[in-house]
Amino acid sequence: MTLPLHNVHLREGGHMVDFHGFDLPVRFSSILEECRRVREQAGVFDISHMGHFVVRGKDALGAVDRLITSDLEKVPSGKALYGHLLNDAGGVIDDIMAYHFGRERVDLVVNASNREEDAGWIRKHLPAGILLEDCSPGHVGIALQGPGAVRVLEDVLPGVLDMRRRETRLLRIDGADEFLVGRTGYTGEDGWEFFGPAGTGVSFYEKLLSVGKKKENLVPCGLGARDLLRLEMGYPLYGQELGPALSPFDAGLDFAVSRTKGEFVGRSAILEIGGNPRIDPTHPVLGGFVVEGRGIPRTGCEIETTDGIHVGEVTSGGFSPRVGSGFGLAYLDRKFFGSFKAGAEGRVRVHGNSLPIRYRAWPFFSSGRPVPSGPAP
Amino acid sequence: MTETRRYTRTHEWVAPADVPGEWNVGITDFAQKEVTDVVFVELPKVGRTLPRGGEAAIIESVKAAFSIYAPASGTIVAVNPDLESDPGLLNRDPYGKGWIFRFKAGHPEEINDLMDEGAYAKFLKDGGGHPEHG
Repeated sequence: MTLPLHNVHLREGGHMVDFHGFDLPVRFSSILEECRRVREQAGVFDISHMGHFVVRGKDALGAVDRLITSDLEKVPSGKALYGHLLNDAGGVIDDIMAYHFGRERVDLVVNASNREEDAGWIRKHLPAGILLEDCSPGHVGIALQGPGAVRVLEDVLPGVLDMRRRETRLLRIDGADEFLVGRTGYTGEDGWEFFGPAGTGVSFYEKLLSVGKKKENLVPCGLGARDLLRLEMGYPLYGQELGPALSPFDAGLDFAVSRTKGEFVGRSAILEIGGNPRIDPTHPVLGGFVVEGRGIPRTGCEIETTDGIHVGEVTSGGFSPRVGSGFGLAYLDRKFFGSFKAGAEGRVRVHGNSLPIRYRAWPFFSSGRPVPSGPAP
Repeated sequence: MTETRRYTRTHEWVAPADVPGEWNVGITDFAQKEVTDVVFVELPKVGRTLPRGGEAAIIESVKAAFSIYAPASGTIVAVNPDLESDPGLLNRDPYGKGWIFRFKAGHPEEINDLMDEGAYAKFLKDGGGHPEHG
């Protein structure tokens, strides 16, 4: 399926690939060059494949809060919050962003691959009178990322420059359609994300592109750069690090679970009554690693002990000049994870070769450019 | 030079080396543009014998690993040592300094079966294969 920015991508030289049924650019120039621009200057991504829902009704906030692992009640209005939807067994249905706009409205941004299932599941769990509207069909999603994002917006949308990290607003762009705007992203850099109707969205994207190219050396970026940038930060990708069989704690995303909030779907499966994590010892645990020497681990590569015993599998892997070697995330046997984390060597099998690896905590790379953060929630 | 160069459907080129019976192999300009961002190249061992279409080398790019297949059966007689320190040669000079390996053909007639420049150009124009995986 093509998305509204399709022709713009073709004009810009995008190499289009299928991603969960959507035609999206995997790259324009080169993945490494696009990543470098985002880390040093600015890049713009088409994220129109992401799902955007609006949940409205009396106490929509409380209703959504009972469906997610993080504590939406503790977040002030105008803030975005990361959290998980869980099944009854505590497995992750999706990882989402929730945007707090008062008690009567919460916006959600969900993964492309889960959009329809999420919408059905959420609707099934919402009390009568609270409605979910799926705004995704025909919408445009744009992520402007990088330290130069501020300077691009000075000329395009100066009204958002006073936003703090993870602050979110609903605003009319060019006095027309309403957009969901957040100072958020999936790259670890400063930036903004925008979701709104295609008409205004396409012309807004064009404006970011032309102003950004002139002012900040901005480049359009594809899924390849998006994936490598998120992996450098150790951000999970649904379907690779997250899935219905494993819990947020298995994925090492303890921060996404509030231990003090009230009831939410899946709570009793992942938390003891007192709030301590309930860990299934037969579940693997996600860990980060770097390759010593030459080799690029990829999704599905096997992790072994130095004795050749299978102890896990790579969920996401890659190479970046900022990390300086191959690196990745892997689900590991808990017993092995303990010794690996303490410094023991492991192995990853790449094209039949067994390459030495060492534990590395994520993020694998830190830009060291903190942006102003809002008051602690 | 280009008149004697032949091409595979998997985007390798093969051209006669200085020693009769020996052939150089690399990837085409189309392929290097698709691969981009080469991080390193896993070269074959000299002396290895390969069947036609056997995996001879692996190009590791940021996006994915790309296999390089033997255009014809034969024995590896040399590899390009410069690719170890400068894999970007593959992108900058795919038909020259970016050559990958040299082999002694077991059945030279297999090379005659490959595409010449005109046929390869037509193959690309007709949408001939796309080495970039989603």
